[in-house]
Amino acid sequence: MTDVTLKINGETRSASVPPETTLLKMLRENFNLTGAKLGCDVGDCGACTVIVDGMSVNSCLMLAGQLDGREVLTIEGLATPDRLHPIQKCYEDCGSLQCGFCGPGMIMSSKALLDANPNPSVAQIRDALAGNLCRCTGYTKMIEAVQESAKVLRGTPARRAAKANG
Amino acid sequence: MKKRGRGIACMWYPIGFTVAANASAAVVKVNEDGTATVLTGTVETGQGSLTVLGQIAAEELGIATDDVHVVSADTDTTPMDTGAIASRTTYVTGNAIRLAAEKAKEILFQVAAPMLGVKPEQLEARDRKIQVKNYPQRCIGIGEVANHAQFVMGQPALGSASYNPHTVSLDPETGQGKPFATYVYATQIAEVDVDDETGEVEVLRIVASHDCGTPINPMLVEGQIEGGISMGIGFALQEEMLFDKNGKQLNPNLTNYIMPTSLDMPEIEVDIVKNFDPTGPFGAKGVGEPTAVPTAAAIMNAIYNAVGARVHSLPATPEKVLAAIKVARAKQLAKPKAKALAKPKAKPAQKRLAAR
Amino acid sequence: MAQKSNKQSKRMDTPMSEKSRPVRSKKSAGIGLPLEGSGTLRLPAVAKQVPFPIEALAPKVRQQTPAVGQRATRPDGRLHGLGQTKYIDDISFPGMLYCKIKRAGISSALIKKIDTSEALAMPGVMAIITGKDIPVNSYGPSIKDQPVLADDRVFHAGDGVAAVAAITEQIAQEALEKIKVEYEPMPAVYDPFEAMKDSAHKVHAPASNIYATKLIKKGDVEKGFRESYRIFEDTFSTQMVEHVPLEPHCSIAAWDANGRLTIHSTLGRITLGRTDMARTLQLPLSRIRMVATIVGGNFGGKNEITQEPALAVLSKITGRPVKGTFTRVEEFIATTTRHPINMHYKTGVSKDGRILARKVRLVLDGGAYCSWSETTLGKACILSPGPYNIEHVHAEAFVVYTNKTMTGAMRGFGAPQVCFAYESHMDDIAEALNIDPLEIRLRNAFHEGSSSPTGQVLHSVVVKDSLLQAAERFGWKEIR
Repeated sequence: MTDVTLKINGETRSASVPPETTLLKMLRENFNLTGAKLGCDVGDCGACTVIVDGMSVNSCLMLAGQLDGREVLTIEGLATPDRLHPIQKCYEDCGSLQCGFCGPGMIMSSKALLDANPNPSVAQIRDALAGNLCRCTGYTKMIEAVQESAKVLRGTPARRAAKANG
Repeated sequence: MKKRGRGIACMWYPIGFTVAANASAAVVKVNEDGTATVLTGTVETGQGSLTVLGQIAAEELGIATDDVHVVSADTDTTPMDTGAIASRTTYVTGNAIRLAAEKAKEILFQVAAPMLGVKPEQLEARDRKIQVKNYPQRCIGIGEVANHAQFVMGQPALGSASYNPHTVSLDPETGQGKPFATYVYATQIAEVDVDDETGEVEVLRIVASHDCGTPINPMLVEGQIEGGISMGIGFALQEEMLFDKNGKQLNPNLTNYIMPTSLDMPEIEVDIVKNFDPTGPFGAKGVGEPTAVPTAAAIMNAIYNAVGARVHSLPATPEKVLAAIKVARAKQLAKPKAKALAKPKAKPAQKRLAAR
Repeated sequence: MAQKSNKQSKRMDTPMSEKSRPVRSKKSAGIGLPLEGSGTLRLPAVAKQVPFPIEALAPKVRQQTPAVGQRATRPDGRLHGLGQTKYIDDISFPGMLYCKIKRAGISSALIKKIDTSEALAMPGVMAIITGKDIPVNSYGPSIKDQPVLADDRVFHAGDGVAAVAAITEQIAQEALEKIKVEYEPMPAVYDPFEAMKDSAHKVHAPASNIYATKLIKKGDVEKGFRESYRIFEDTFSTQMVEHVPLEPHCSIAAWDANGRLTIHSTLGRITLGRTDMARTLQLPLSRIRMVATIVGGNFGGKNEITQEPALAVLSKITGRPVKGTFTRVEEFIATTTRHPINMHYKTGVSKDGRILARKVRLVLDGGAYCSWSETTLGKACILSPGPYNIEHVHAEAFVVYTNKTMTGAMRGFGAPQVCFAYESHMDDIAEALNIDPLEIRLRNAFHEGSSSPTGQVLHSVVVKDSLLQAAERFGWKEIR
């Protein structure tokens, strides 16, 4: 068995899992964080996308053991008890999700993009989402939602303060 | 070199099963505060049907979308439904729900009429009120009526109904009959760039004008159209299940089965056609499948317009497009000889778009 | 399954003195946060739910009356965005087992022997069944030619031959490899035109490979051709494609002590699913409950049962709930696909481009089982002349068995294929007659009251509106 201690959505968590367990399986079965989905299990579809140490990854391609001492952000870690994350709000307002299965992965990829690039062009948004397959929506309203989210996030006080300080 | 082309395709598509009965049943319960619960056996498969069905119930009861809670997909507690198939949900299940809501509303009217000093047929439900037609000042809040119905009159306001589209079976020899109650129509126009050296096709823009009768929720209609177009693009240019000579699939995975990503999507402009079908709930028909129907045809016609190459089999992979371009060029070279023999024809109007 | 790490067990085992008893920090308003003092309060592994974000106040658009026409946001959309939507694979029951199905890997064969003894002996494997364990081992929306698990024949490479229930998915998957199946290969046919020949191998002998046909006749098509100014003929074909829903097929079967079966399933039609279960398991309908949550994409591929009867039998044998989730490979090889269609069109037109007669011949590759082929055949045939006023129509269609993945319902039921054909054909006609593609369609399109190929008087017709509207929006007339 492999012992793993990692930070998930800000909380330190531990698990002891068979060595072949992927990060995806560990999240879903050990921690009951079923937001990340199993769509193909081989890194083709992106439904399992989470953010590890600030980078978006296909969690089905990482072994649980590789996560020891690292930080993971999943869809469950975006909203607070008080509010939806702006990306979640914009996805909802734009009607971007239909069946929703690709949603958590798509939103995490959107977050990773906006964390790195607060003002992405449409081409950059398409590029960032290219690893997340969606069969229902045609991606159009997702791209709109990311553009809206970017505007909202650029206008938030934390960002404004950061901008002011240079 | 990149050549630009445009292509048009129109289509028709039916709503519901072919001739066969495909009923939906529904129950609408008006709660004692005027909000409502809808029971439907349909299954939400992502298209937003539960939202649309809630809007239909809300419209009939004169309340808001958010006042309606839709319960679905449990054979123990929800009535039968033929299912989310054949683009039938808005039309068939929607009609069933509207009829069920109407029955629940009738009970409210029966109870409200003496309260307002009028006959039930003089009443309408609007803006969360039961009010007198053409004299809305005389009204009671729907919650008050529902409460009175349930707790004073002992008549809870609920209704159940079913709906089945009206068809006529097809003659076994000639196929003549009325297989469907209604159809929807659409046109998509595609603009593409074709690289005449590699055969690669880039879809730049698609304009989609779809008829769905009354769009109960235009945002969800757009979502269906955009999603349908993405499936159409995959069908036209990328997707193919390949088999070896022993009937085993060669690419049963998403690495080698190519389908559209965010990089493959064009600019999409949606323009819902204004229409009203009196047989549908508030004039609505359906939209789920039609959106995926004309896309490939529009793209193929655009490819032809761009490089004069007719691709006869899908998907139009770069290899096939190149092969078709070669065939077209060979035909062009052969033409001058043929022209001498044939009657002189007027030159076809220039179809190539000016490069932007 | 989660186990406490060695470190943690040590900490929990150490008795705590009064002094070191952890005190809840004033700052930690929420639960599950580290506390002051030694040790961390460890909660059961339950994802933190976000119950009432401030935006729970319903968006304005959902408060509007009248409701029809509103761009209302979806309540399920909110749950999707939070990752709170429970799809079937997100659901677990205590003691639940996992099922995996062994796929034939050979497209046409007799099954001589299935040896499950080595697999059964594996620790963690609880039960293995084959086709003979299913009370009525056949189903299908029209022709019931598909077995739940193969009887003694394999008809395509994705056929399931055995189903394993084990305590983890990993063990179930490994057990598949230990199941030994002896096949006697049989002839096979993969091309529908080959399959239509009398000499071809009969997939479901003694039945003909042409398992359904349709004919639509209106007017006199030969007369129409005689009266035509010009006749065009062409052939088009389309490929087999897959629905690729992001969510793989998934179901959970469980029984209660009253012999009532509950199936949680990704099926898009539970009423008919329940009927299928009643038939395959020989149960009264009142003993079956079928529940769906939200399906992660259907597109027609989740319109019939697949593994559910097998899961039910496994659940009955083991006395535990059994969940089966298809792998992505199984989504391709063991679920329905879109019919490849070969379409031959012959169209006679007048000098000004009006279609006088159209003859269509469709040959559908019908895969190994019928599934929704009869519906697809019918729709494809009816729609094949296009949304055009044509006095003389002759459309016939055939669907043919081949030893490939079964073809069934997929978004459009034949319409995308025939539309590709009739609209490509239309543009070729337009060019030959030197008529603008928009114009030729306007000349021929249905209008209110038009007669369809089946003689139906159409109402609520807006083909021309859609043509003109799209053309206007696109700027069709401006660019020539």
